[in-house]
Amino acid sequence: MSTFIISNLWFYVLALSLIFFAFKVVTSANPIHSALHLVLTMMGVAGLFFHLNAQFIAGVQVIVYAGAVMVLFVMVLMLFDLKHEFNAFAKGLVSGFLKLMSVALVVGYLVGVFLESGESKGVKASLTTSGDQTSTQLQVTRDLAQLLYTKYVLVFEVLGVLLLVVAIGAVAISRIQGGTHAKH
Amino acid sequence: MQNIEAIGIGQNHYLILSAIIFSIGIMGVLFRKNIIMMLMSLELMLNAINLTFIAFGYFNGNLNGQIMVFFVMTLAAAEAAIGLAIAVMIYRKFNEVNIRYFEQMKG
Repeated sequence: MSTFIISNLWFYVLALSLIFFAFKVVTSANPIHSALHLVLTMMGVAGLFFHLNAQFIAGVQVIVYAGAVMVLFVMVLMLFDLKHEFNAFAKGLVSGFLKLMSVALVVGYLVGVFLESGESKGVKASLTTSGDQTSTQLQVTRDLAQLLYTKYVLVFEVLGVLLLVVAIGAVAISRIQGGTHAKH
Repeated sequence: MQNIEAIGIGQNHYLILSAIIFSIGIMGVLFRKNIIMMLMSLELMLNAINLTFIAFGYFNGNLNGQIMVFFVMTLAAAEAAIGLAIAVMIYRKFNEVNIRYFEQMKG
């Protein structure tokens, strides 16, 4: 019984803190603060992944997202020295109201779709059935690796090529000196 | 952990949470004028999508969602790298990263 309560509590605490941190990401005027709140958001999402029996993805989330990508963001922010940002938010009452309304429309639409479609009483098959927790975790990670390197191996290779293109392209963009339409 | 559905936290809870986070990300993209802040909001939206994938995969006993999360993470890293390179270029040219300078970029 107590494990039920703890599992419930775990979700609600994580969900409330996630919403709070995500809101702080969008609303803090200092970009460094919002970057740090984004790190906290990603850690919370990793906790939810752990809860959903995706332990390996949770680790990758912490290492790649909260580690590498956020270090990239914070480094560029430090490079720019944007401590005080004057026009942080877009101005205009009418356009702001329209934007807020469109966001509300999107969230209402999504939640409505989820609620209308009804709870799927899924089979909850291979991911959660077998009794021993440790062996289940190992099995999920092993199945994940097998799926990645057999069924999805072509996508994997294509993503490798994409990353190469992105690495070269990022260097080329940051070294560019005006482009084809430049007036020297 | 194995009896989450029995006491009420089901698929819909995760889906609604990710919808809320996604909408907060949209709000960031619409309301902020700093390019880096917009990129961060995009990362927020991608995280919400990842949560949706994992939740669907968990409640349907399917691992393909976790594979998709891998690919989304790769694409997010690529997008962040390119976007930050463009931001660096804008900053070197105008000494500020504001979205309104994008209209002066011609090739």
